[in-house]
Amino acid sequence: MKKKLLAMMLATAMTLSLAACGGDSGSSGDGGVSITIFNSKVEVQEQFENMAEEYSKAKGVNVEIYYSGDTVAAHMATKYSANDPYTISMVDAKDIYSLAEEHAADLSNEKWVENTDYAISVGGKVVGFPVCVEARGVIYNAEAIEGITGKEFNPDDYKTLDAFQGLLDELVAGGMAAPTGIMKEDWSLGAHFLGEVYEEQPDVEAYISALHAGTGDLAGNAKWNAKMDTFDVLKKYNYAASSPVAAEREVTEQKLAEGEIAFMFGGNWDWSVINAYDYSEKMGMMPVPQNTDDGANEKLVGGGSKYMFIDSSENTSEEQRQAAKDFLNWIVFEADGNAFLTEKCALVPAFSNINADALDPLSASVKKYADAGKLIDNYNYFPDDHLSKCGGLFQKYLADEVDRAGFAAEIEDYWKNTAPVEH
Amino acid sequence: MNTNTMSYKLKQFMMFAGVTTFIFAAVVIVPFIYGFYLTFTSWDGVSAQKPFVGLSNYLSAFGDGAYWQALGRTVIYSAIAVILVNVVAFILAFLVTSGVKGQNFFRAGFFIPNLIGGIVLGYIWKFVFNRAFVALGNALSVGALSTSWLATTNGAMLCLIIVSVWQYAGYMMLIYVAGFMSVSADVLEAARIDGCTNTQSIIKISIPLMVSSFVQCLFLTITRCFMVYDVNLSLTNGEPFNSSVMAAMHVYNQAFTYKNYGTGQAEALILFIVCAVVGVLQVSIGKKAEVSA
Repeated sequence: MKKKLLAMMLATAMTLSLAACGGDSGSSGDGGVSITIFNSKVEVQEQFENMAEEYSKAKGVNVEIYYSGDTVAAHMATKYSANDPYTISMVDAKDIYSLAEEHAADLSNEKWVENTDYAISVGGKVVGFPVCVEARGVIYNAEAIEGITGKEFNPDDYKTLDAFQGLLDELVAGGMAAPTGIMKEDWSLGAHFLGEVYEEQPDVEAYISALHAGTGDLAGNAKWNAKMDTFDVLKKYNYAASSPVAAEREVTEQKLAEGEIAFMFGGNWDWSVINAYDYSEKMGMMPVPQNTDDGANEKLVGGGSKYMFIDSSENTSEEQRQAAKDFLNWIVFEADGNAFLTEKCALVPAFSNINADALDPLSASVKKYADAGKLIDNYNYFPDDHLSKCGGLFQKYLADEVDRAGFAAEIEDYWKNTAPVEH
Repeated sequence: MNTNTMSYKLKQFMMFAGVTTFIFAAVVIVPFIYGFYLTFTSWDGVSAQKPFVGLSNYLSAFGDGAYWQALGRTVIYSAIAVILVNVVAFILAFLVTSGVKGQNFFRAGFFIPNLIGGIVLGYIWKFVFNRAFVALGNALSVGALSTSWLATTNGAMLCLIIVSVWQYAGYMMLIYVAGFMSVSADVLEAARIDGCTNTQSIIKISIPLMVSSFVQCLFLTITRCFMVYDVNLSLTNGEPFNSSVMAAMHVYNQAFTYKNYGTGQAEALILFIVCAVVGVLQVSIGKKAEVSA
């Protein structure tokens, strides 16, 4: 008898749990609209979830947030082949270009278009809503530097590589054995550092075309040499110089946060790693020092980062699309939306009407350079395999498996054998 | 009741195997055929159109040097890992059936690594190779340990092999244990009376009677090693300099990261064929060697 009771209870419990799995759709209660948002910034997932709950209560629109650990493009591919797209998807700039034509709704008539320089248009229509501004540069720990030099650290004094190297020598003499760190991740080397070599060319498109045609002459290019000279210095003073490709990102950022090293090439997204440690408040970002007179050593490289688009297929109803547009307007034009973006998520707003004064130190640096117009644009049309292939080559250079001339030749080969990206 | 009609047979089949057949078809057969179809298109993974391009994906797969390098690497990795896994598993199985104290405890202990998922396993070992070994090497000033093995080309492969052995040896051990147990005590006793030493009775009696265990274990390890992805992803992620990218990882990158879905699918099919040929050959050769007491 007891056994029978237990069996029945178990069966009931299992049925209930099955029902719980299956029964969530369309249960927005008061019959309001339901929209889904795909978030691809893992560091703000919790903020998004909390926001969804509050937004649902305040606006009567049921918002559900999803995240995936897959690459964005791969995740979008699965959702679209399953005919189950998100109402709003947050993706990278390059994904917008590949998805927009078939899947993104026209947002040209939205009010926020006027307030931003970063929106993405495809085929003459605005389709990408910029979530935030992000930029790359050298992250510094001023407290660690000042502790050794004894005078205030002003990044503007170290624009040239010569001045920068002088400072590094001073730090070494003062007892900081190795003042720099290098992230060996292929995206950091291949997409971010190497990317700047192209992005700082006077005419990026022309230079990329020349590389495809095999006439780019990377080894003889002034920008390449200036950047690589800087990289060589970063490499020379690297705390992990003996085994640079074994350096873990978390370890490097911890050392930077706690002042064991003073400089690392990175971006303001690195704050999400740094703030996990006992960080110094006096951190910031500066342009990559280089011996050049083209002004690139006074600017960060970056721009709009992460874009939202609204699905245009019949899987999304007109009402849902309207609710999605309202949501984007909420972010830009309502105080709660502004606060969500800049305070809760600590992102640098891409809209001129949004004030942000509670940003983390790195984002504050980015905002300072962005507001002063000192941002060099991202180039968004790299071939999809550029990051991993050239990142791999760059790792070889970092590990001294290839010299600079050989490295340049391999990258030239890569471009020659890769089809140009249509745009 | 006539049990020899078609409809009766069909009913019987549907009753006992219908559901499984349906599920098997839905998750294996249909995707396989659909995937085969995709190898003839230049689909990018998201577009609504799937333009038909004939055999060009196969041509680009055959011309993709990085793929063949990855496949060659996978063959080397599999050859070494398969041998080591089975040798270690066999020795472990022998030890835990030889009647040592607490052998059930050891059986459970050796099996546990297999219960940890490959991704987690990769991260655990990454920590061991990158931090624990390096700290140990520095403390004892052992040169070979003072830098991370994961940072060198051959070292990364070695790490992958070590982790695979650690992961699969316990699982294969269980199959060998079953093999050892199935050898009847009479035969072994008869051998001992005839004057066999321990080594002789293992080589001459136990191993020939356990051939089916070897066939199973080899098949499982070969297919798993050829298809390795999870440990590859979390332990090395192809680093350093893309020198530890295995075939499955290259296929994934080709299809999803580089957005050449058709080419990736064609490469996956080639990997499948290689794997199937090796597996079937091995099983058919192994089956011939089976004997019964």
